[in-house]
Amino acid sequence: MILIGELSLWVALLMAAWSMTVSYAGGALRRDDLTASGVRGLYATFAMVVLASVGLWTALLSRDFSLEYVASHISANMPSVYIFTAFWSGQAGSMLFWALILSMYATIAIATSRNKNRELVPWATGTLSAILLFFIATACFKANPFNRLDFLPADGRGMNPQLQNPGMALHPPNLYLGYVATAIPFAFAIAALFARRLDSEWLGVVRRWALLSWFFLTVGIVLGMWWAYVELGWSGYWAWDPVENSSFLPWLTTTAFLHSIMIQEKRGMLRKWNVVLVVMSFLLSIFGTFITRSGVIESVHSFAQSPVGSWFATFFFLSVGITIYLVGTRLKDLEAKVELESMVSREAAFLYNNLLLCGIAFAVLWGTVFPILSEWARGSKITVGPPFFNAVNVPLGLLLLALTGVGPLIAWRRASVSNLKRQFASPAIFGLIVAAALFALGMRALAPLVTYALCGFVAGTIIQEFYKGIRARQSINNESPVTAFVHLVGRNRRRYGGYIVHAGIVMLFAAFAGMAFKLEYDITLSTGQAYEAKDPYGHTWKFVSQGVSTSSRADRETQAVGLETFRDGKRMGIISSEKRRYLDSQGNQLFQPITEVGIHYTGKLDTYVVLAGLRDRDTAELRVTFNPLVVWVWIGGFLMMIGGLIVMWPQAERRRPAAGYAAVMSPKAKSAELAGAV
Amino acid sequence: MTTRREFLGRAAALSAAALVGARRAHGQQRGAMHDSSIVRDTNNLFAMDQSAAIPVRRPPKPGATPVLNQAQRDELEHHLHCQCGCTLDVFTCRTTDFSCQVSPAMHRDVMALVEGGYNAQEIIDAFVSTYGERALMAPNKSGFNLVAWFAPGAAVIAGGVAVFMLMRRWSGAGARTVAKPTARPIVSQIDATPDELARLDAAIKGEDRE
Repeated sequence: MILIGELSLWVALLMAAWSMTVSYAGGALRRDDLTASGVRGLYATFAMVVLASVGLWTALLSRDFSLEYVASHISANMPSVYIFTAFWSGQAGSMLFWALILSMYATIAIATSRNKNRELVPWATGTLSAILLFFIATACFKANPFNRLDFLPADGRGMNPQLQNPGMALHPPNLYLGYVATAIPFAFAIAALFARRLDSEWLGVVRRWALLSWFFLTVGIVLGMWWAYVELGWSGYWAWDPVENSSFLPWLTTTAFLHSIMIQEKRGMLRKWNVVLVVMSFLLSIFGTFITRSGVIESVHSFAQSPVGSWFATFFFLSVGITIYLVGTRLKDLEAKVELESMVSREAAFLYNNLLLCGIAFAVLWGTVFPILSEWARGSKITVGPPFFNAVNVPLGLLLLALTGVGPLIAWRRASVSNLKRQFASPAIFGLIVAAALFALGMRALAPLVTYALCGFVAGTIIQEFYKGIRARQSINNESPVTAFVHLVGRNRRRYGGYIVHAGIVMLFAAFAGMAFKLEYDITLSTGQAYEAKDPYGHTWKFVSQGVSTSSRADRETQAVGLETFRDGKRMGIISSEKRRYLDSQGNQLFQPITEVGIHYTGKLDTYVVLAGLRDRDTAELRVTFNPLVVWVWIGGFLMMIGGLIVMWPQAERRRPAAGYAAVMSPKAKSAELAGAV
Repeated sequence: MTTRREFLGRAAALSAAALVGARRAHGQQRGAMHDSSIVRDTNNLFAMDQSAAIPVRRPPKPGATPVLNQAQRDELEHHLHCQCGCTLDVFTCRTTDFSCQVSPAMHRDVMALVEGGYNAQEIIDAFVSTYGERALMAPNKSGFNLVAWFAPGAAVIAGGVAVFMLMRRWSGAGARTVAKPTARPIVSQIDATPDELARLDAAIKGEDRE
């Protein structure tokens, strides 16, 4: 099976080349037979990549250490689940994994749109095959997971223990699923440009895939944050590391696109801009991968100095060049046909939203690449870390938060003063009450106060929208509040799913602002000694060392310290933190020692304990951090995923006509639907 | 004219030749890779340069007494970048990763400078003169670095101006194409006196309601 997998990878390379060539030829010559052959070539590529992937999984699960990739990433005693995930934990495997996802997505996208978008199919197939060709060629020539060693090692090197975590098992595939999904809208945008079919035909396909990309990027980013928080031990979840930034960039542009596409759907505007956003999202995904692989920017995630960096750079600049040429030569076809009636309207609010999202994307990109620019311009290395990103992005983020409340409620075309008063009076008052209450409770820091006021305002707009909708359904249909809520969301998933995503965003901002009150204590405790510390809410915590314990297992040595904790005299339990040294079967140390963090979670506060070091056999050096509201990051992230799923779920009303149903609505049901759409 | 069968036959021959060529190139690539040790790959994710610490020493000031307390010293360390390659600041790294030898060395230098009577800015300057600007977690707001700090704001402002101009143009175009053609003809077609029009206007505005 391994040999079949290896050969399949090479056949996939040829199939992708074939599919690209004949698809583009089919588009240019308007030959349906060539187009059909290209599509079949794409399907065959998918089948070959699946076989290659099965081959690699077989090699991993059968622990075939004659393969360089297997020997480098797993060891015989690793849990099977992490042997399975080792597929994407290294460079060569992740290239194949990327090709697997892309070929699967491409097959689904082309198979489901063949009959709807006939003119676009040859160009989209050609573009998707071209991208596939690049990834398969990289896997074949530069990072081949089937490379064999000249000798057969007794065991592999194993996987870094910090990667043996459920968060890290799921975080990369979700990010890949998100990154790769940007290729489908890109391919259809390029197809629309090639075919000069720049009407709304391509938007339907593109929106679904952009949503899918957004959803998986959200899941991947949140899982990555959770993994960093519980595993890395620096008591935070976002460090503005270049690789974190590169996952955030396509998320920002995809979010901008999902808003601006509504303007094109409703008003036919922003056609050029939407093409640019789709293209930018894909290119930023490639750029992110380039950063991860090339090692040009210092990052803990970088796959060292790898040979694929130059390939990615070439592919990136080639894609940029082709896209600029295509957009430049088709500007007239992209002219908008509808005019803006007022600067105070939902269209305008979405434009401001796009400006801010792209502004944040630019700031993040700029900060990420500035060390390279500085070295190039002045020859001196600099670090651009969290102080820069926070200073630049916090004001933009707060403006964006405000727009999150304004955008969904303001009227299309032109908002009147009465419309503004009716929609925003109560939420604005609610936001001011929140700020006043926090001020009265002693909060004086300006940025958090503004953040919480805006969170109150946006939460007010969301609550108001749900309240009005539920009340309307109750009065018309005599439904219970729960039934009315379910029907309200089910009737207009895009709208109310969007509100749920916004509610998640509010929670995230509230949690981010909470970290402004984080308190850290650097303490040294011997057995029986106690340390008292105040948390941000003014409670007194007492930590009593239970001593240092050591233990050994076949694969590791562990040193642990337990702290008995009390809050205002009430016992809260024991928090323990560990340092682990992983060993091979000869007792040699593998990897660097890792930290196992001790965390006591509550809705208000995480008490985060890290064993930083041991001074002697019973004296531990510890860092205790009080992190307010962190749990709301995970709840907010989860809510965003739920909202995303609701938005993505197909509307039943839209399926019925396609299936041939033509039910006549009763006046009662019709008015209920109208109420749901209010 | 080439038939489809001929075309497919040639394509298959070309594919076979390409496959052989690719395999040969791949073989050369493998040969080159075997010169190095087993892939430098994900397992190097957290590999760090433990020899990156450079001593930052200054003689104590005459009659030196510390001007920074522990909290201020910890805050200062949050602005210094650990040089081990971890991307964390000195305080966070030294209290997180007990295998890092760089951040404790930098911490010892900070403590010595604090004991020597140096203030926060002098300590930061000492680190910058030894390591260069990469000792800082964010670039100084001076010289070329101002580009880093101001470019995002400038870009957003420029984008805002562009959006504003575009919206003005779009709304202007709307006024030209929609409002102008409809305003005059409608009035001219209505068979009413100015007084009747004024009453109609008042009725529309709701002024005649009791």
